[in-house]
Amino acid sequence: MYGWIWRHLPGPLAVRVALAVVLAAGVAALLLFVVFPWVEPLLPFNNVTTE
Amino acid sequence: MGTVEHLGRGAGRISGDLGELAPSPRPRSGPPPGKPDKTQRVVRGVGEALITLGMVVLLFVVYEVYITDLISAGKQREAAAELDDRWSDPTIGGGEERQDHFGQFGEGEGFAKMHIPKFGADFHFTVVEGTTAPSLEIGPGHYTDTAYPGEPGNFSVAGHRVGKGAPFNDINLIESCDAIVVETQYTWFVYRMVPLEEEKAGWAQGKGKDPRCEGVLLGGVYEGLVGQRIVLPTNGDVIAPIPTDPTSTASAGESASLLTLTTCHPRFSDKERLIVHSVLTNEYPKDPSKPDWRPPAFEEIT
Repeated sequence: MYGWIWRHLPGPLAVRVALAVVLAAGVAALLLFVVFPWVEPLLPFNNVTTE
Repeated sequence: MGTVEHLGRGAGRISGDLGELAPSPRPRSGPPPGKPDKTQRVVRGVGEALITLGMVVLLFVVYEVYITDLISAGKQREAAAELDDRWSDPTIGGGEERQDHFGQFGEGEGFAKMHIPKFGADFHFTVVEGTTAPSLEIGPGHYTDTAYPGEPGNFSVAGHRVGKGAPFNDINLIESCDAIVVETQYTWFVYRMVPLEEEKAGWAQGKGKDPRCEGVLLGGVYEGLVGQRIVLPTNGDVIAPIPTDPTSTASAGESASLLTLTTCHPRFSDKERLIVHSVLTNEYPKDPSKPDWRPPAFEEIT
């Protein structure tokens, strides 16, 4: 998977490294600000109230 | 056994002497390096997927413990600023008589500040109305059916213990007689944690002598009330007006004013709830001519 992405990145080494970093940061941001806030209430470890 | 010199692999790397001991090499099978066969591709794919999954889980921990703190800190700051604005606006609230009026707050709206001097003079959180997830992201949330600060009954507040500002991270460290101060628009309310079960036996001779502890041990219907306990999430009695007698129909005049904090226990789990009970021991009307005055409870812990 990572090898495939690496081979398909265009440009010289420096450009590829920069693109790879941007890609990784994008995925991290997507997880942190979209996926995790959505999935978090479904998980059983942050309920603080009694019923 | 022949020496390795005759075979391409390892030629020139292993001397003839060592060649005697080396296992007999096999001719290399499969495609040449750089073009992995199907099995290798699958194994590599699975490995990469597992590593990725591990990274995602790690990132989730970072999110839960640090990022939610950042997000909540912003919301808490906003709520505090809004509350300060409201408190300083003479056209809102009790007006001339300087009397607190509760009960008209929207979900997630701040209405009081909670200070715990034991955790430092600057430890305070704006308490918001309601205990829904979005409210608790702002700060500690008031259970809507329970009493308000200073009222007879049980002012009950839930707060996160991990992430989201973690206002109640350390409430297990509060000891009996330690102050939990609730500030409203016109009043300071000083609550103190009631004794633990094991402290009750020798209370009058022991810790009860401390002047801070006056009025902290409750009798009568509150006999069984302890300062801290761990209960199941289904135990809603802890926020009843009289937790030791949840079905009681005692009138307001016969009820003490309690403050109950609830949070998750153990940390990172929602198996149980940690409960801290405290009782109102002092209240001080705010003096508009001395805006910086704070109750003496802030001086107790150095």
